[in-house]
Amino acid sequence: MMICAALLWGAASFFAPMAWAGSCCGGGAAAALILPKLAQSMIDTSFDIEKYDGYWTKGGKYKLDDPGTDLRQYRLNMGYALRLAKRWQASVAVPYVWNVNKYSGLSSRTNGLGDAALNLWYEAFDTNMCRLGWGDISLSDLVPAATFGLSLTIPTGVSPYDDVHSSFDITGRGFYRLDANMLLDKTVYPLSASLFLSYGKHFERPVNEEYGHYITPYYKNLGDRAVGTLAISYESLLDFSTSRERITYTAAFSEIWEGEGTINGVRDNTSGLLKSSGAGTVAWSTLERNWVVKLTWNHSINKDGWGRNTVASDIYSLGVTHAFE
Amino acid sequence: MRSSKIAFCLILLILASCGTDLAPSGTDRSQVQCGIPGPYVCQYAPDFTLLDTSGTSVTLSTALTSASGAVIYFTMWCPVCDADMMDMRDAIMPSYPNVAFFVVDYVSGSAAAARDAQVKYGYAGSGFVVLADTNQHVLNLYNATMGTTVVIDRNGVVKMNEEYKSTKLQSVLAGLP
Repeated sequence: MMICAALLWGAASFFAPMAWAGSCCGGGAAAALILPKLAQSMIDTSFDIEKYDGYWTKGGKYKLDDPGTDLRQYRLNMGYALRLAKRWQASVAVPYVWNVNKYSGLSSRTNGLGDAALNLWYEAFDTNMCRLGWGDISLSDLVPAATFGLSLTIPTGVSPYDDVHSSFDITGRGFYRLDANMLLDKTVYPLSASLFLSYGKHFERPVNEEYGHYITPYYKNLGDRAVGTLAISYESLLDFSTSRERITYTAAFSEIWEGEGTINGVRDNTSGLLKSSGAGTVAWSTLERNWVVKLTWNHSINKDGWGRNTVASDIYSLGVTHAFE
Repeated sequence: MRSSKIAFCLILLILASCGTDLAPSGTDRSQVQCGIPGPYVCQYAPDFTLLDTSGTSVTLSTALTSASGAVIYFTMWCPVCDADMMDMRDAIMPSYPNVAFFVVDYVSGSAAAARDAQVKYGYAGSGFVVLADTNQHVLNLYNATMGTTVVIDRNGVVKMNEEYKSTKLQSVLAGLP
């Protein structure tokens, strides 16, 4: 079970931090924490550096940024997860965001709270779903551990519909969103595979203010959002360590899609997005798995057709997780 | 365990209190004083002169003497801007040949750099007149930011000043005198 927990940690780090919102069009995303089976609570902190690297047009054509442009978002993500019952857990995650933008003729530095996330998870298993090798394996041994959840995004960040004066100040999207999540995870030591699927709906809201000045009110909604992530992990013992510390290597591929939104119920054909990205993580953990340190590199595939109507970026993330049993 | 649950609830309470707009309002507060110079709807649009990307000086009031109105769009050449500009170019501009469509580039820093961006992002010969707002003077004059769309009628009165919305822009342009 502890092996599962470690691999799950490694995989889970991919799910929400596939941050896609550029500082020009939205804020930082909070992480969806998942508590290991035996843990009662957990704190998770990570620091992301997201460097934007061009964008895809609505038609999927990739465009490089101008040479004098350097656009970055830094995020400090703070999360706390708590076991509510044997199969139930909840978590909260909040990012603090710094936007640092430099163009040939303009520079800007702003910061603020990003959009927070509340998560509720149900674990559809009670026993150890891991195997310690491939010998005498049967089909029933390959049944994955399934975890189902709901995530509520809360617009605690600064959005264009707040009292701000520039798009550079934006740290959130300004909409509530409810996601239904499913995580399937299987470990046959030392390998693990996981599949994360999520589908979310934004809640329509009234808007009477844009960038600090009042406008004729209207109703706006963002499109539905779907995320799919496939991750494969390999775990090894540290040969030189006497305390049996472990290193987990994880590779993942993720797709994020968001449909077109509406304005006063009419489809807004300038909205919607698609982004594909790959990621690699190296995670160090103690024998008890109560400490995990993760280093992740997330890279969008900067070619025509691998994104639509959103920014391309590289995300470098360093995280520390501590679980309490 | 009990203290953990209390801590969890406290975090939720803090979150609930620190958001700036957790319960958004739809109340109409858009009244401004009309008939005076200003950037908002029913005010007289502030005049300005900027260089376009061919090096020609463009003055708003002069442009309005030969057009039935003007649309000014503020761009920083981002995906949102690109989607808005493509929609404007393909769905709106052909229906309003007598309206002047200006794109104000407030990030490139020079007319030459704005020209490079115009070509690179596919808007050379698009019908937009790209203006270089090298010191963000016009950006500040209109309290604008990325995606701000301003419509001005031939009398110099502001008819729209808000984020780009295709249907709203079409209805405002259809109502121009």
